Amino acid sequence: MSGSHRHDGHDGHDGHDGHPTFPVASQVSEFEILELAVRELAIEKGIFSAEDHRRFAEWADGVGPHGGSKLVAKAWNDPGFKRRLLENGTEACKEVGIDWLKPTGTGTPSDYTFFYVLENTPQVHNVIVCTLCSCYPRPVLGMSPDWYRTPSYRRRMVRRPREVLAEFGLHLPPEVEVRVHDSNQKSRFMVMAMRPEGTEGWSDEQLEQIVTRDTMIGVALPKAGRTSDEDVQAKAAWR
Amino acid sequence: MAKPKFDVGDEVRVRNQTSLFHTRTQKYTRGHVGVVSEHRPEWVIPEDEAFGRVEDGRKEPFYVVRFKQTELWPDYTGFERDTLESEFSERWLEPARKEK
Repeated sequence: MSGSHRHDGHDGHDGHDGHPTFPVASQVSEFEILELAVRELAIEKGIFSAEDHRRFAEWADGVGPHGGSKLVAKAWNDPGFKRRLLENGTEACKEVGIDWLKPTGTGTPSDYTFFYVLENTPQVHNVIVCTLCSCYPRPVLGMSPDWYRTPSYRRRMVRRPREVLAEFGLHLPPEVEVRVHDSNQKSRFMVMAMRPEGTEGWSDEQLEQIVTRDTMIGVALPKAGRTSDEDVQAKAAWR
Repeated sequence: MAKPKFDVGDEVRVRNQTSLFHTRTQKYTRGHVGVVSEHRPEWVIPEDEAFGRVEDGRKEPFYVVRFKQTELWPDYTGFERDTLESEFSERWLEPARKEK
């Protein structure tokens, strides 16, 4: 789909005429073309304006996972907030400045109805996926990572979750129940991991640093000293 | 507000019915048995919402159903205790055992 070659003999490398036949189109997926076509029709029909679209895209691109980190850190430090968060996630979000109705007033239609925080326990580990498309709690986590939307994550997470988690480096012991949540309707989910050892007495701000996006999807566990911003120790793939 | 037909703890089977029109009931859950783990508020079913009937669409209670992974996948490679949760509108669920 995102391949840069058209397999029709006109990919510019076959030497027919020395010019690539589809120099631009070959880099655009069919999905992107479809999105553009639907968007242009919607603008033409007056459903929304190009300006509305730009503003929404700007908002959507600007939301990161920080809101979610705040929710978890605050809940770890404040049992009262934790109770409110687990009882009514959508409402509790307002306490850290996240209103699920923004920016459209009705919520982003594919996102909004109910928000539930899934609390990990020593017995249960939660992980989220959307097999039908790519549902994700965008107001609290921002845009989903690319891999979250791939068919291979979606189809394999429901079927072989322990193997997929192991591929992320997360090995859970047999006595822990792995509970997969398939976001197939209007609820959106986020995982609240258990507070890790070594974080006693930490402030909300310190805790937020270790509550990374992946820990809120459920493919990783937070660890004292491990933040999403630190330099990644990468090794060369080959030499 | 309709009274939900199923209680938390009830065993339910996901119906295997037509998906000629829009549905959010995944194929892999159809025909399988799980346990109702939570009630969700009633809302417009996707079969109507997908056609823009947000105001006058049919509203139904929704349920979270918890499946044992070994019930969903005969060749499941994890452990017996592993589970999966998903949501269903009432029309997609029936009692797991036929009433006598």
